[in-house]
Amino acid sequence: MNRDALARSLSAIVGERQVLHRPSELLVYASDGLPGYRREPALAVFPRTREELVAVVRLLARERVPFVPRGAGTGLSGGALADGSVLLGLNRLTRVLSVDAENRLAVVEPGVVNVHLTRAVAPHGLHYAPDPSSQAACTIGGNVAENAGGPHCLKYGVTLNHVVALTVILPDGDIVSLGNADGEDEGYDLLGTFVGSEGCFGVALDVTVRLSPNPQAVRTLLADFTSLDAAARATSSIIAAGIVPAALEMMDQATILAVEASIYAAGYPVDAAAVLLLELDGLADGIDEDADRLRTICLGSGARSVRVARDEGERTRLWQGRKKAFGAMGRVSSHLVVQDAVIPRTRLPDVLRAIALIGEREGLTVCNVFHAGDGNLHPNIPYNANDPEESARVHRAMTAIMRTCVEAGGSVTGEHGIGIDKLDYMPLIFSEASLDAMCRLRDAFDPARRANPGKVVPIRSCREWMQAPVLR
Amino acid sequence: MSEIVAIPRSTADVVDAVRAAEADGAALRIVAGGSWLDAARPIDGGDRPVRRLDVRAVTGIVEYVPGDLTLTARAGTTLAEIEEATRPHGLWLPLDPYAAPGATLGATLATASWGTLAASNGLPRDLTIGVEFVDGRGMVVRGGGRVVKNVAGFDLVRLTIGAWGTLGVITEASVRLRARPTSECSLALDLPPRPEALAPFLRALRTAPLTPLAMELVDAPLARATGVGDADAIVVRLAGNAAALAAQRRVLAALGAVREVGNACWRALATALPADAWTVRLSQRPARLAALWHETTARALDLDGAWRQGSIERGVVRLVVPAREGAALALRLATLADRWQVIGERLPLEAWRALPVPASDRLSATIRRAFDPLQLLNPGVLGHPVAASAPAHPWSLHT
Repeated sequence: MNRDALARSLSAIVGERQVLHRPSELLVYASDGLPGYRREPALAVFPRTREELVAVVRLLARERVPFVPRGAGTGLSGGALADGSVLLGLNRLTRVLSVDAENRLAVVEPGVVNVHLTRAVAPHGLHYAPDPSSQAACTIGGNVAENAGGPHCLKYGVTLNHVVALTVILPDGDIVSLGNADGEDEGYDLLGTFVGSEGCFGVALDVTVRLSPNPQAVRTLLADFTSLDAAARATSSIIAAGIVPAALEMMDQATILAVEASIYAAGYPVDAAAVLLLELDGLADGIDEDADRLRTICLGSGARSVRVARDEGERTRLWQGRKKAFGAMGRVSSHLVVQDAVIPRTRLPDVLRAIALIGEREGLTVCNVFHAGDGNLHPNIPYNANDPEESARVHRAMTAIMRTCVEAGGSVTGEHGIGIDKLDYMPLIFSEASLDAMCRLRDAFDPARRANPGKVVPIRSCREWMQAPVLR
Repeated sequence: MSEIVAIPRSTADVVDAVRAAEADGAALRIVAGGSWLDAARPIDGGDRPVRRLDVRAVTGIVEYVPGDLTLTARAGTTLAEIEEATRPHGLWLPLDPYAAPGATLGATLATASWGTLAASNGLPRDLTIGVEFVDGRGMVVRGGGRVVKNVAGFDLVRLTIGAWGTLGVITEASVRLRARPTSECSLALDLPPRPEALAPFLRALRTAPLTPLAMELVDAPLARATGVGDADAIVVRLAGNAAALAAQRRVLAALGAVREVGNACWRALATALPADAWTVRLSQRPARLAALWHETTARALDLDGAWRQGSIERGVVRLVVPAREGAALALRLATLADRWQVIGERLPLEAWRALPVPASDRLSATIRRAFDPLQLLNPGVLGHPVAASAPAHPWSLHT
């Protein structure tokens, strides 16, 4: 079936307005949250109901057309780019289907925006714990695909820890249930395998998530350091002391300056080398004792001062600065690479020093804003993508940073996924036999290799994807 | 049936054992401490000889960085050895597989066995960050890594944990540790006398401001056996700083008469199971735990010597029945399985037949073939033995 015929068939299912095929319309979907890559889809289709979604996937299966599922497109690894294939937009499927407050469960469609779910269950005193920085825009389906994290996953775990069941349509059109909301599940953990599979295993029709009770009390602290080393030491000491903060975030001076110069100014000390944003939550009784211990540990590790947010307004400002830090960097430069690597927590001081040296060597500013408690780094480089020479330096720096993190015993992504951006790094951490095992696993879900082709596992490891089908 | 025992000492030895089994047309029964040999269904090698592959000698802690709260150990390492290594640093691996004294890390993960600490610390799947295994083709595969947060590649860790060795022989694993609570206490509450009051009572407990390490229902026989009391009770294990502990005691005291029971009861609960008893887990959404408890009262407590334990946060009741009542249990399982999720832990052969076959769906079967095309590894466990025919994928790198 050629492109026009396919567009007509899809229109017959979802209506003409839900199928985009003009180059000007498709332009919007040529990149996701990582603007360094542009890949134009052949078509984009936006089902509005579960029935339409099922019919679309089955049509694509019949016609053997490759497709790429996409939520809000906030992904940061180029995972939702459809190069000449069909972009399957899921962001019209936005219903919260049911809430079981007593069992703290909700069933949602994949296009529900993360923060909308929390708003929907707020009347029950519940919230959805995973909170990526993009939570105001990103969708639950996208979170499931990427196994998204966020600041509060230090205590509450990543998306996987909050998904109890999925109804999935496999690329061949079969509908299967994974996991179980009605008791224990036995057999292979297909749910755990699906979550984080970056759209390569199928499409979620609905997601049953676990909700968390709102904590009785919250304390948010800002600790101010004159060296990155001291802030890193404080991080290790807090974890070793047995306190599990709800969040433990670090921002370096370059990030602080970008935030404070923006509309998201939070009152961070602009002369600090680094700040730690710490949050405790839980029972009201005992929380102030734990907050005092955090303060003591930070001061003992060399903090100049530690302040506790006095009210909800101050708390919101402190968090806004952190969550919008990437946006604030938009003032610095036209483009931004947001990197995502993980290292063992104890290696924070030396890896941060190594990253600073790499930045100096390439003449670039590296802004570090990251989940220190997890050792999940986000070295970001503002740059001008239209300058090929600067782009080359950015690329060299990013590769060097990744190698440094891997050599420190780390991983190449903690929450953003591999997508197409990190394909080249996969052989740094996995042997050919392990990559081959991943290919075999993928093949069990999608033997025709049509779901998000060419992502996650490098093509040379999965030889069958050498000629990923393209629709022109 | 004669069993040749292979005792590998390293991952390379495991590879050799798998390849030798393949060459000889044998199947492998993977064994470590031997706590759960008959669980998740008996081995069925068909007409092939079944060899024991004992991984206990693949042992030792490979890497332990207290500051990172991570530890990597070989499969045969016991949880007791890990406990001994981590305790001096105020850390622990909060895995307490049920009724498995001498449990090894590999078996705990392969079986995904859990105990009362799962309420606060999660299941083995939640605490495992990396795994190395030898698949049924003799390939050494690694998933995950040694850092606590990692989404690189497809999740071979989740897939392997709880797969009962049917996708690969786990040879090494990395786990996340937690800080051991510095102070804790254990309290028991009696159940309300009227059965209909149990559901609201459990709801009040689940929604109360409590952050327990564990919260379990024990029936009278188990309460007696573990020194908790003489009647059905709820045992709560609390940890935290002094103020948090005091506040939680007040919350519990407001719900009923509270008595101190001593922390030793948790070990007693974990080891109460007689070696020859049968066990099943029944589950539903946590809010239905009271109904499940009542149903097991009605359907199982007349079995002489039976007892039950309920995990309040997970909505699970463990039913334990003495060996002599195996046939009676088997008769009742089909009815119970109509209304509840029923998972066999240790059962007589006739009882396994009453339960649905796990991992028998198309996806699971395909995955099993992809990792163990000849069905060498624990055939019969987790599903029907499948004809050992499927060739390796034509496009595989290693054919």
